[in-house]
Amino acid sequence: MAPRSLVLSPFELAEPRSLAEAIALLQAREGTVRPMAGGTALMLMMKAGVLRPTRLVNLRRLGLDQLDVDARGALHVGAMVTLRMLETSPLVRKGWPVIARTLRTLSNVRVRNVARVGGHLAHGDPHMDLPPLLCALGASVTIAGPRGERSCPVEELYAGYLETTLAPGELITRVSVPAMEGRRAAYLKCTTRSADDWPALGMAVVLDGAAPRIFVSAATDKPTRLAAAERVLAGSTLDERVIGEAAAAAQTLAIDGDLHGSAAYKKHLVGVYLRRAIHEARQPGH
Amino acid sequence: MKRASQATETSQIGRSVPRLESWLKVTGRAEYVHNLRLPAMLYGKIFRSTVAHGRIRRIDTSAARAHPGVQSVVTAAEVKTVVPDPYYGPAFHDQPVLALDKVRYVGEPVAVVLAADPHVAEEAVHLITAEYEELPAVYDEVEAVSSKAIVHDALKPAGTFPDLKHLKGVKNTNVALDFRLRRGDSAKAMARAERVFEHRFRTQQVMHTPLEPLVSVAECTEDSLTIHTASQSPSFVRIEIARLLGWPENRVRVRVPFVGGGFGAKLYIKLEALVAVLSLLVKRPVKVSLSMEEQFFTITKHASTFHIKSGVSRDGRIVARECEVWWNGGAYADIGPRVTQKSGFTAPGPYDVQDVAIDSYAMYTNLPPAGALRGFGIPQLVWAYESHTDMIAREMGIDPVEFRRRNLLREGRPQATGTPMRDAAIEKVLERAAELIDWGKPFDRGSGTRRRGRGIAIGFKACIANTTSLAAVNVNADGSSTVYVSTVDMGQGSDTAMAQIAAEVLRLPTEAVTVVHSDTDVTPFDMATLGSRSLFHTGNAVKLAAEDARAQLDALRTQLGLAPDTPIADLFKKKYGMRAGSVTGVANFIPPYTPPDENGQSDNATPFWMVGATGVEVEVDTETGRVRVERLVNVADVGTPINPRIVETQLSGGAIMQLGFTLFEKMLFDGEGQLRNASLAEYKIPGLLDLPAEIVNQAVVAEQRTGPYGAKGVGETATFGVSPAIANAVHDAIGVRITELPLSPQAVWEALQQR
Repeated sequence: MAPRSLVLSPFELAEPRSLAEAIALLQAREGTVRPMAGGTALMLMMKAGVLRPTRLVNLRRLGLDQLDVDARGALHVGAMVTLRMLETSPLVRKGWPVIARTLRTLSNVRVRNVARVGGHLAHGDPHMDLPPLLCALGASVTIAGPRGERSCPVEELYAGYLETTLAPGELITRVSVPAMEGRRAAYLKCTTRSADDWPALGMAVVLDGAAPRIFVSAATDKPTRLAAAERVLAGSTLDERVIGEAAAAAQTLAIDGDLHGSAAYKKHLVGVYLRRAIHEARQPGH
Repeated sequence: MKRASQATETSQIGRSVPRLESWLKVTGRAEYVHNLRLPAMLYGKIFRSTVAHGRIRRIDTSAARAHPGVQSVVTAAEVKTVVPDPYYGPAFHDQPVLALDKVRYVGEPVAVVLAADPHVAEEAVHLITAEYEELPAVYDEVEAVSSKAIVHDALKPAGTFPDLKHLKGVKNTNVALDFRLRRGDSAKAMARAERVFEHRFRTQQVMHTPLEPLVSVAECTEDSLTIHTASQSPSFVRIEIARLLGWPENRVRVRVPFVGGGFGAKLYIKLEALVAVLSLLVKRPVKVSLSMEEQFFTITKHASTFHIKSGVSRDGRIVARECEVWWNGGAYADIGPRVTQKSGFTAPGPYDVQDVAIDSYAMYTNLPPAGALRGFGIPQLVWAYESHTDMIAREMGIDPVEFRRRNLLREGRPQATGTPMRDAAIEKVLERAAELIDWGKPFDRGSGTRRRGRGIAIGFKACIANTTSLAAVNVNADGSSTVYVSTVDMGQGSDTAMAQIAAEVLRLPTEAVTVVHSDTDVTPFDMATLGSRSLFHTGNAVKLAAEDARAQLDALRTQLGLAPDTPIADLFKKKYGMRAGSVTGVANFIPPYTPPDENGQSDNATPFWMVGATGVEVEVDTETGRVRVERLVNVADVGTPINPRIVETQLSGGAIMQLGFTLFEKMLFDGEGQLRNASLAEYKIPGLLDLPAEIVNQAVVAEQRTGPYGAKGVGETATFGVSPAIANAVHDAIGVRITELPLSPQAVWEALQQR
C-alpha cells in the first residue's frame, strides 16, 4: 500500500505584533480560538483532548511584560509577566511581600518560569493561588477588547468553574494592585495529598481595620468573598473569641466536596484556615 | 570513557563503585525503547472500554479507518487471524491481546489504530465507537467472593504451576486461587489463649508510576520477530510470544536496553503480544508507547483486606494466629496468584507462633489488573500484622518493641511453613531500628494542635522460588571482561553489581567489566528481574561463570607453563601467537527448593529471607489531620552489601515510594468502576517537599552464606515497615488508630472526630 500523506490535527499559531491585531485574530467567526500566554494549562488541556483549538493567538510579542509601581504606590503588572518575575521582583518583595510568599509554593519553579500572570487569572480554575489573594488585596484588571479598554475588580472576573466574565475577543492586559499602606495580608493553602498538590482550600486574608477582606478558593467554584466573616471582624479587636466567631460565620458558606476532600472536611478546614490566616497576617513582616 | 583492564588486588566487594551507566544517563546517551524509531514504523494508539463489565455488541471502526493517514484499525477479530487463542498471562491464560467478546474493566484495550503519525492515530481513536451489553460488575475483593457478578466464565490456569492445576475449568467463581496453610491447631490454641485480638485492615489500589511509561516495538520478517521492549522479563516474553504464535523460541528475539523504572509494572506480557500481532498483521514495525495516564489502566498494586486474629498468653506471647487475606487482582490474574501464595505464607509476620492458619485468596474484580509492585504483597501484609501487633501490645500495656522482642522468630526456629529461619537478622534489624529512632528515650511530644509520636514496625519476605538464572562471562584477549545476563537494569544498579562480582572473581577493577543488556538471541535465560531475586540468583550465576572462566585461564596458564602472575593478555598472546581468542565461563544457578504440601508446609520454602524495619517520628496537625513524617529510619538485612552506596539509595527509594502509598496515593473509583484521578495532576506521588527532614538508611552487619560474597536482594526491603510504623506513630501521637490506607488528612481528622 502506498504511504498516504500525513495529516496532523491542525491548528494555526498566530503571533500578532499589536493588541489590535491580537483582538482581531481572536474574533474568528468559526472554530475554537484561544489566546495563549505561557501555555502551561492550555497544553495540558490540549494533550488531554479536552481542548482542540483551531487557532492559538500567542500574546508574547505584545509588549505586555512590564512591571512597575506608579506615583500613588500601586503595582502594575503586565499580563505577560511570568509568575517567576513577579515572585523575584524587588518591588514586589518590598511592597507586597504576601504576593512573593504566595508564589513560592505555587506549583513549581519550572511552571512559574513559564506561566504568565494574565493566563493564570484568565484560566478561571478555582485551584489557582493568585486569584483569591488579588481579590482580597482589592486588585483590578485592565481588559482590552473589540470595544476598547475597560477595567474591573479581579473578583468580578469570575463567573464559575473555569468560567470568566471576559467576552469573546477580550484580553487581560494588566493587573493593578493598590499599595499595602499598612494593611496586613496572608494567603494560606491546604493541600491534602502531596505538598505540591493543587489546593483543597485557599484562604486569603487582608486586615485593614474597619474593612477586612477575606476570600476563599478551591473549596468553591470561584474565589468567593467571606462577607459574613468580614462583618464579624470589621472594627473588632481580633481576640480569640472574635476570630472564633468569624470562623463560625465563614463556615456558613456552601461548599462542595471533591477529590481533595469531602464537603464536611472542607467546611471544617475553612474555619481552621481562616483562623490560621488571620494569625499569619498579624505576624511581623506581613 | 577510559577503562583499565590491568589486574588488581583491591577487593571489588563492598566498594561503592559509581554506577557504570551514570555517564551515559546524565549525558542523555543511554538507550531506551522510548527513543527507538525504525524505518517505516507505525504507531499504535489504543481505544479502551468505557464500561466495567459487558459483552461487546458492536465496534464501529469505519470512521477511524476512513480518517486520512490511518493505516489500519485492529480489533480482536483481526488478532485471531494471527493468534487463534489470543489469551496470555504468567499464571492464568486469561488476558486477551485485545478484548474478545467481553470487556472486564474500564480502560481495557478494545481496538488499536495504526498510523505513521502518532497524532493521527490518536485522533482516529476518538472516531471509534463501541456498544456493550452491560453486565453486573464487582469491585470489592471481599464482595467478589459471594457476588453474582462473575468476571471470568471459567478459570484458565496456565498449566505451568502444579498448584493451579485443580482450578482448570472451574466455573461460577471469582476466586482465582485459594492458598491455604495450616500449622498445628490454631483453633485449639486460640481457645486456650489468655486474650484474643481480632482486627481487619485494608489497603488501597495504587500505581507503580515508572518515569518511563510502558513501551514496546515489534518488527517482523515472514518467520521471525524482534521485540524491543521496556520489560523486566525478556526471557518470559520470548517464551510466551513463541507459545502464542506457535513458533520455535529461536524465531522470537526480545531485546531490552535500559529501562526507566519498573517496580514490577513491566513484568510478563504487557504490550509485547499486542505489538507482535500488530506487526505481523501490517508487516511493518509497530510501536506502542503508553501515556502516563494509560498506565493506570494497565497494571497496579493489589488493594487488599486482611482479617487477622491472634491468641496471646498472659506473659505476652502470641500462641495462635489466624490470617484471612483477600487480594483484589482486578480483571486479569497477572501474577496475583503468586502474590497470594508466595507472600501469603508470611502473613503471620516474623514471629514465633506455634499454631497458625492462613487463607489467602486471589480475587477477580472489574478493576484494572493488579500484579507485582515493589514488595510483591508484603507491604500489604506488614501493614496489617504490624498495626495489629502494636494494638495488642498497647492493649496489654507492654512496650511495643518489648512485645516484639518476646515473640521474634529467631535463627533456626521454624516459620509458618515449617522452614527454619537461616541468615535472617530479624533481632538485629529490630534492635538497630529501635536504637536509631531513639526508642524509649524522651522526645518533644508537641503541644496544642501539633502532636508528635513514634512508631516502629518490622517485616520480612521470602524470595520467590523455584527460579533459575544463567550467566556467561567472557574474558577477552586483552584481559577485559564481558558479562552476559538477562537481568534488566531498570535503575536499581544491577549492571554495576554484576560487574563487581565478575571483577572480584577475575581480580579486575569493576570498570574493566561490561555487562551486555538482555537480548534473548545473545544473553542466556533468566526468570525475570523481580522480587529482589537478581543479586542473589543472577549474582550467584555470574560468580560461578566467572569462576569457570578463571579456572579455564588457570588451566591455560599451567598448560603454557607460565607464572601464576602472568597478565591475561600475555596468556592469550602466548597461546595464539598474536592478540586473539577468549575464554567463556558459563553457569546455571538454581537454589534448592521444596514445594509446599497441601497444608502449605515445606522444609525449604525460600532461597533466602529479607528483613526490614522502619522507625518513624511523626507530627500530626490535630486540626487538619495532616501527618508529617519528621524522621524516617530504615534498617535492613541485605546480607553483605556489594555496593554500599547503591544499597543505601535502594533503601531510601523503597521507603519514599511506600511513604506515598501510606500518606496519599490512591486510585479513586466511582460506583461504575470509572477511575476519577487518572492523571498525575490528580494522582500525586511524593515530591521533595514531602520527604522527612531526616532519613537514615542502614544495613546491619550480616551475611547470606548462600549468596554471592554474602549478599542478597535489597530492592524491596525498605518498603515493608513504612506504613504500619507511621500508623503506629500516629496512634502514639494522638491516640487514634487508622486501619485503612492511605492515612489521608481527612481520614485522620474523621477518626479524631469519632474519638
